Amino acid sequence: MAPKSSSSFTFTKPSSQSASSSLSALLSAYTTQTTPRLKFIDAFLVFLLSSGVLQFVYCVLVTNFPFNAFLAGFSSTVGQFVLTASLRQQVNPENKVEFKEVSHERAFADFVLGSIVLHFFVYNFLG
Amino acid sequence: MRTRSQSSFSFSCSLFTLLLVTIATLVHTSSAGKSASSTGDSVLVILEPAKKAEYSIFLNGLEDKGYTVTIRAPKEEQPLLIEAGLPNFSHVVLLASDTKNFAKDISPQSLVQLLSLGTNLVLTLGLKQNLLTSLAPEFSLLLPPPATPLVSYFPERSDPPSIIPIDVSSQSIPNDTFSVLSSQVTGKVWFSGTAFALNSNPLLFPILHAPLESFAADLSDASGRVSDALADASEKGGEGLWAGSSLSVVAGFQTLIGGGTGHGADAGLGEDNQARAVWVGGSSLFSDEFAKKKVVEKVQQERGMKVVENPSGNTQAASEIAGWAFQERGVLRIDEVTHHKVNQTEPLEMYTNNDEIVYTIRISSFNPSTRKWEPYSGLKDLQLEFTMLDPHVRIALPPVSGKSGVYSTTFRAPDRHGVFKFVISYKRKGFTHLIHTLSIPVVPPRHDGYPRFLSAAWPYYAGAISTSVGFLVFCAIYIAGEAKEEKEKRSKKE
Repeated sequence: MAPKSSSSFTFTKPSSQSASSSLSALLSAYTTQTTPRLKFIDAFLVFLLSSGVLQFVYCVLVTNFPFNAFLAGFSSTVGQFVLTASLRQQVNPENKVEFKEVSHERAFADFVLGSIVLHFFVYNFLG
Repeated sequence: MRTRSQSSFSFSCSLFTLLLVTIATLVHTSSAGKSASSTGDSVLVILEPAKKAEYSIFLNGLEDKGYTVTIRAPKEEQPLLIEAGLPNFSHVVLLASDTKNFAKDISPQSLVQLLSLGTNLVLTLGLKQNLLTSLAPEFSLLLPPPATPLVSYFPERSDPPSIIPIDVSSQSIPNDTFSVLSSQVTGKVWFSGTAFALNSNPLLFPILHAPLESFAADLSDASGRVSDALADASEKGGEGLWAGSSLSVVAGFQTLIGGGTGHGADAGLGEDNQARAVWVGGSSLFSDEFAKKKVVEKVQQERGMKVVENPSGNTQAASEIAGWAFQERGVLRIDEVTHHKVNQTEPLEMYTNNDEIVYTIRISSFNPSTRKWEPYSGLKDLQLEFTMLDPHVRIALPPVSGKSGVYSTTFRAPDRHGVFKFVISYKRKGFTHLIHTLSIPVVPPRHDGYPRFLSAAWPYYAGAISTSVGFLVFCAIYIAGEAKEEKEKRSKKE
């Protein structure tokens, strides 16, 4: 709706304008339509993403010397991110049709078990 | 009654034997022997019995030092040099230099076998050809043609030119820390006989050089007149002129056989039977005639020249030349070899890469005056090698100050694993060769031997820990949120 009207004016402006407007639309849709539970999961995902990026930057710029420690630290964030993302998929109300037979409790229990196994390997590999 | 007396008799017998054995071991351990030599007391002198009186000062000197001297005529059959594969004497002196034919068992082969069995030899060369002139090239001695004695017209003297006084004080050989002829040899040494050149054999070294002005010449045609035959021959492209101080009149030879300490599994061949041979250009160096012969010298004084008669140094020189050959002086021994890690005391079965290793060796020298082995710290150029095919580490092994006879060094094991050897190979002219090897494996660190929790890895540790903590917090809040939602649902239903 908004992009159509702006595109008729100039050729350069509309892209930025439409981008910013679509971004704000996305943001507003996210804030209004997403349940607080999913928002909380997303916050954890952002934390894991930033932690992994920081470790990777440190490895590239400073040292990868105890390489096993890097692998352990980095893969713990990646693994935790994957597990959390799959939890988010399963508890999302919009995917109810796909995960009919998986209850929320079952999804959470899978997540916890997977995470515990992951951390067990991570700490074995870290030292 | 009778049996009782018998048993008491046998008991006292066994007690007596025990006492004897104890005394014998005590005597054996308290000193190496009754002579000044570190290897044995018995000396065989091969000499015409008629000429025994000509060498009485030298032979009596040997007996004074505790040796038992046996004289054997060159053509006599007894006593044998080697009997049933074992040498009969610790030392053999061959003074019969002018004898042409010897008994059956005195041959170049038997003399070499004696050396390999650990018997020390003093061999004197004559002007005529005999078995020794054919044996000398085996020791890398280059002899001038037969019947060409050493001749010198300097210094001016009344003696014939073939009887030469040799100055000993100017010669410090064979190495910096040890000299075969000590400073006790005062006065010049009379010499008459043949000189020889030394080939490049590392085991051979000169003990006494010929004087600078001397040369080998043929004296046979006229009394006191030197023929120019040798000089002419060298000008025509012969084997060169036999002249100058590069010639030697006394040379020492230290064999390479044996070595090691005789202790432990890595003790080389296990027996410390390095033998020594001394070649002397003329047996007259040991004679009474030269020992008593005065050296006439003109000394510059304030009021013109003055003629001084000094005693010759032959007695002392002969004693010290024989003393070196009989292993009285310059005899070294490795007593103990230890190694351990820095800040530890016990040796390890194997070392890890980059370990700091302390290597310590104790060395003794034989003291002929006390006839005991004494700790010796005089070696300044001892080296230790840590070898696997090649020496990976070659490092100086200095004496430890305050501990006599102890040499120690610390070095880092190479960053290379394999079976290494601590190698001591000290071969200096005049000294016994010190050879000792000790195998030791060097292994890489064990799986738990590497350093852990490095400071560089703290970001990774923090990442892993924060993920775990985050997971726990996430679970707690998630469960709390679920409980809250259920409450709200219930309240709505109600």
